[in-house]
Amino acid sequence: MDWVTLIPLLPALAFVVLAPLSRAARAKLVPLAVAAVLGSLGLSIAAFLAVWPGGHGEVWQASVTIAHIGDRAITLGLALEPMSAIMLTVVTVVGACVQVYSLGYMHREDRIGWYYAVLSLFTAAMLALVLSDNFLGLFMAWEVMGLCSYLLIGFWHEQEAPRLASIKAFLTTKVGDLGFMLALAVVYAEAGAFDFATVLHHDWTAGTATLVALLMLFAAMGKSAQFPLHVWLPDAMAGPTPASALIHAATMVAAGVFLVVRAFPIFEASGIALTITLWVGLITALLAGLLAMVQHDIKKVLAYSTISQLGFMFIALGAGSSTAALYHLVTHAYFKSLLFLGAGVIIHAAHTQDMRQMGGLAKKLPVTSLAFASGSLALAGIVPFSGFWSKDEILAVLLHEHQYVAFAIALLAAFVTAFYVARLWFRVFTAPTQQEDLHEGHRSMLVPMVVLAVITAVIGFFGPTLGDFLGHEIPWPALGTAAISTVAALGGITLGWYVYGRRTSVVNTQALKQRFPHAYGVLANKYYFDLTYGYFVVGGYTTLARALATFDARVVDGVVNGVAAAWRSLSAAGWTFDGRIVDGAVNGAASAVRAAGDKVRTLQTGSVRSYQTLIAGAVVLLVVWILVKGA
Amino acid sequence: MTVGLPHVLTLAALLFGIGLYGALSRKNAVHVMMSLELMANAVNLNLVGFSRFVTPEAMTGQFFAVFSMVVSAAEIGLGLALVIAIYRRKRSVELDAVQELKG
Repeated sequence: MDWVTLIPLLPALAFVVLAPLSRAARAKLVPLAVAAVLGSLGLSIAAFLAVWPGGHGEVWQASVTIAHIGDRAITLGLALEPMSAIMLTVVTVVGACVQVYSLGYMHREDRIGWYYAVLSLFTAAMLALVLSDNFLGLFMAWEVMGLCSYLLIGFWHEQEAPRLASIKAFLTTKVGDLGFMLALAVVYAEAGAFDFATVLHHDWTAGTATLVALLMLFAAMGKSAQFPLHVWLPDAMAGPTPASALIHAATMVAAGVFLVVRAFPIFEASGIALTITLWVGLITALLAGLLAMVQHDIKKVLAYSTISQLGFMFIALGAGSSTAALYHLVTHAYFKSLLFLGAGVIIHAAHTQDMRQMGGLAKKLPVTSLAFASGSLALAGIVPFSGFWSKDEILAVLLHEHQYVAFAIALLAAFVTAFYVARLWFRVFTAPTQQEDLHEGHRSMLVPMVVLAVITAVIGFFGPTLGDFLGHEIPWPALGTAAISTVAALGGITLGWYVYGRRTSVVNTQALKQRFPHAYGVLANKYYFDLTYGYFVVGGYTTLARALATFDARVVDGVVNGVAAAWRSLSAAGWTFDGRIVDGAVNGAASAVRAAGDKVRTLQTGSVRSYQTLIAGAVVLLVVWILVKGA
Repeated sequence: MTVGLPHVLTLAALLFGIGLYGALSRKNAVHVMMSLELMANAVNLNLVGFSRFVTPEAMTGQFFAVFSMVVSAAEIGLGLALVIAIYRRKRSVELDAVQELKG
């Protein structure tokens, strides 16, 4: 079973091979990266089958000791159990689809090789994260993913927006990561180890459990873009669309949810942490959904939608069902990456991300529109597409826990979701055509989308099987909740159709703006989060930096310059001494040697016979000297 | 009259003197080398003579003479090669023609 190690290792090797090469050589080796992720996909399916039929603990585990602190050993290890097996298949299926799709999407880029290298490193880190059997290894993979996210958002770093977005994403998630590091410190102090088995079976008191759980929740909020740390994800859309599909829709942003699922016993031991998680999820799901309603950039709509759906996963966690959260994570990974890949084709065809300049794409892009329909219906929660089943499971959990207020908010969020999905769909695909010359994407882009669309359409039927595999129960939806959620979804779609979809209603944003000036202003400014952060956090930081810069210029530079001036005059004195005395001595010795040489060289006559005479004379003198001395 | 060490040494001294005179007085490089050979063989004669009359049981001097002959054969080969090389350049074997090393 040690071949499981190869699953994260193959893409990592692809990175190691690609990264040091030149731009041209990297571009030639792109198939290697694709082959690596396809290899991981094959091995992941093998790993899944090895765990099948699941319902039990780990089937394989391996670890290495990396350090000893006192008498405690720090180990890093990988473990294969049902949850990691499911995550492996999700990550590798989406990763393989994205890499194949990128062959078509990115083929005009000079730096396609670098793109594939980072994508491979990311895939390796995500696979290591889901396989890790301890919090320390999880954290390491988590940080590598943050780096890859930064690199891919800033892929087009010649432009200002991606550059700033990459810095914003990195710093915002880093704020969350601080929570993770503190949580690790508390975990180690309390349980004395990092591996899940020890930490999760530790006898947690409510107080420390709350502390650890809240710190981890903070980390998860940063990574999974939950209010109020969500601000980076919409900006992250400045990166390449397939990278957004993989990182900012399917996998990395779900890592936060995954962390909470892993640490769930600690959250359960706390209780309060669960309530906070629930409300973070509720607020995020609703507010991000409302923001998605007013965006014109198709990728931003999907970004806010992702935030909202991640909110749903936090709702499930907060309601006490990590299984429902994981279920929604899996279905969401498939349908949201599908939507992003579809958006990529649309952006390629329409040469714009602004939905107001699109329209009538359904006829021009038949395959894309069908695949997009599958993803949209899943996101809206229409039976039998995958989102329906997992969202329904979350709503059912809320009802079962008697969280009626939360249920109402979640239902409203579902309604809003259906509305913005309908808005997106009708604007892009059925509204009056704005452009004539539109082309369907390349086959390498369509095939991954079709694969994801089929998965999205059928995976819902395997919910209970998935539950058995995980060792928990995922029941078929009860008729009551299913009916309520379907009514909400259909209501949202109908309203969306009424506003944006009818032939007669050419959408007039201006009219909406005038009718609801305050609400529109709040939404258009994204609840002023960016402004607030910009003013207080970034502004405060800038003021501090300016004060420090002044101090630096006056005091530090003064000292440095003074020292430099003193040193300079000292060295001028040294220069004089050197020129007069040291050089004088050296030159004097040299000229004395030269004069002596001029005298001695006349001994060299060049005449052979004079040398012979000299030698003979010297020998005679030598003999005479020996005779005299001997006597 | 039996031949003793003084006879040998006298002969060697004569040979050496002739060789030295030739080496210093001749201009022709081949003559100079012949004279040098005379001097070398005078020394060899000394070695053999001392060996024969002073330590007859140890053959050191005799072996040394043979050794010295081998070395001077090699040396004369090298010297003649140099003389030919000089002749090719200068069309002359006169020692006075070679003055390049004058300081």
